[in-house]
Amino acid sequence: MIRSGQTLPALVLTASVLAFSGAALAQSSLGIGNSEATLPSTGMFAGILNWVNAQQQGFYRTLTGALKTMKQDGSGTWVLVGLSFAYGVFHAAGPGHGKAVISSYMLANEVALKRGVVLSLLSALLQGLTAILVMGAVFLALRGSSVSMTDATWFLELASYALITGFGLWLLWRKAGVRLVSRVRAKPAHSLSAASVAHDHVHHHHGHDHAHHDHNHDHDHDHHHHHHVEGEVCPECGHAHMPDPKLLSEREFSWRSAWTAVAAVGLRPCTGALIVLSFAFLNSLWVAGVLSVLAMSIGTAITVSILAILAVTAKNWAVLIAGEGPRRETIHVGIEIAGAALVFLLGLTLLSASLTT
Amino acid sequence: MKIGRPIKAATASLLVLLAGTGPVRVHPHVFAQATLEIAVNSAGEVEALGHVWRFDDLFSSTVLLEFDENSDLQLDENELATVAGVVHDSLAEFDYFQFVSVNGAPTAMQAPDKLLATHENDQLTILFQSQPVKPLKLNGTVAFGVYDPTFYTAIDFYEDGDLIVRGMPEGCSRTVVRPDPDEALAANQDTLTEAFFNDPSGNDVTKLFATRLEVTCGATN
Repeated sequence: MIRSGQTLPALVLTASVLAFSGAALAQSSLGIGNSEATLPSTGMFAGILNWVNAQQQGFYRTLTGALKTMKQDGSGTWVLVGLSFAYGVFHAAGPGHGKAVISSYMLANEVALKRGVVLSLLSALLQGLTAILVMGAVFLALRGSSVSMTDATWFLELASYALITGFGLWLLWRKAGVRLVSRVRAKPAHSLSAASVAHDHVHHHHGHDHAHHDHNHDHDHDHHHHHHVEGEVCPECGHAHMPDPKLLSEREFSWRSAWTAVAAVGLRPCTGALIVLSFAFLNSLWVAGVLSVLAMSIGTAITVSILAILAVTAKNWAVLIAGEGPRRETIHVGIEIAGAALVFLLGLTLLSASLTT
Repeated sequence: MKIGRPIKAATASLLVLLAGTGPVRVHPHVFAQATLEIAVNSAGEVEALGHVWRFDDLFSSTVLLEFDENSDLQLDENELATVAGVVHDSLAEFDYFQFVSVNGAPTAMQAPDKLLATHENDQLTILFQSQPVKPLKLNGTVAFGVYDPTFYTAIDFYEDGDLIVRGMPEGCSRTVVRPDPDEALAANQDTLTEAFFNDPSGNDVTKLFATRLEVTCGATN
């Protein structure tokens, strides 16, 4: 059982590395504007992806057509909003880091579905807002200065990917690192591994309730990691032999980490939105431009929510069919570590792609 | 010890996870209406490929915003030269979107000395010429593809007549091939999987979808 517990994360990691090892281009081939850094397509889903791609193109073309019509006679705001919404839905189903980060984050954490939907919505809205702010800044202040839109977007993109990488690393540490360290530190390896499994069981079913049976008696004597629960009550109590993210209570933490996920995703404005906005602003279609980007964001949020819900449902389902007992925890932990690893690898791939071009 | 179930469960969830986070190609954000003119000399050799790319209004407006140094909402000569320079430098990595093959074997084109950019009626146009590195005789099937391997730009030839051969030798014929994406994928499923592992960046697959002009001349010339 311990063996299968070790094989699973290894398998998942190998698969993730394979899936994400490809280089992606962040700076566009024309050198003007930024193309979204994406991950390679696997061919496994090539048919569906191709369809999504075709839909995106179709919507984008219709969208640009609608903007041109508006420029000529000022009509069709609602057509534009509708098209933007549809574009958002399909855009999120295609490339993009948003859905990947949010779903992986939800895999790595115990996030209620409702909260996951809120996270998706927030990150998508923030992405729209970033686009509006960048374009506003470019149009009102930066135009004619040495800071170009490509530069500004690139900077935000780097910040976003760096944040994702750091966030993934932190998640990985919290999900796998802590476990590993406590396993290495503990003398009786067997009992410790059982304890860590049992611990996770508690985590899964009772949220932030870390009150392990042994905790009250043992926390001062051994280096069993549950004693850090004590730190929740009294962080300055002086037995901090290593920084332990578990110090922070789960509930408080989940909001902090959730905001990090939202910010990491939302910092990078979507290229489509930037292009639409620049055209709209240049032609004084202010309201239409902003409405269009907001509609895109909401469309994106819907797709990201659906994918995140799918990911979490699949995780719960996998944990459920794994049956009772420690095996269930093994699967559970394995999926959480894999989710954390995905966020990290995703960030790393995007970051390196963004830096090398 | 029964490990079948958890492994199955893990595989299933991994698949869903990969599908959810799954990677996709970039879809184009830039559209260019293109023409290609292939000049052939009297010896039946390709002298140059002439390209004209007229970019869509939206991308053109982002270019205007980005390169309008004096903020007059016009692109003057200097600003256009900067635009052309940036595009010239960036395209070098992508062979200027030109992909020429003789009987299936790729053949190289020279980098153009410079690109010309114009901005009229809210549309940016890029023009340039490129010569083959080695003499390129029309013999057998020579295919000319113009596309962005990164999918950022959609180079669109709206009509077959937008791909022109000037001075086509006797006994040669031209065909414009517009692959149907679904068929192209189906026909290349095996090689695609292989291509993915060889070149995970996926740029290889773009050529399957791109419009190309094939000039076929008698096998012996």
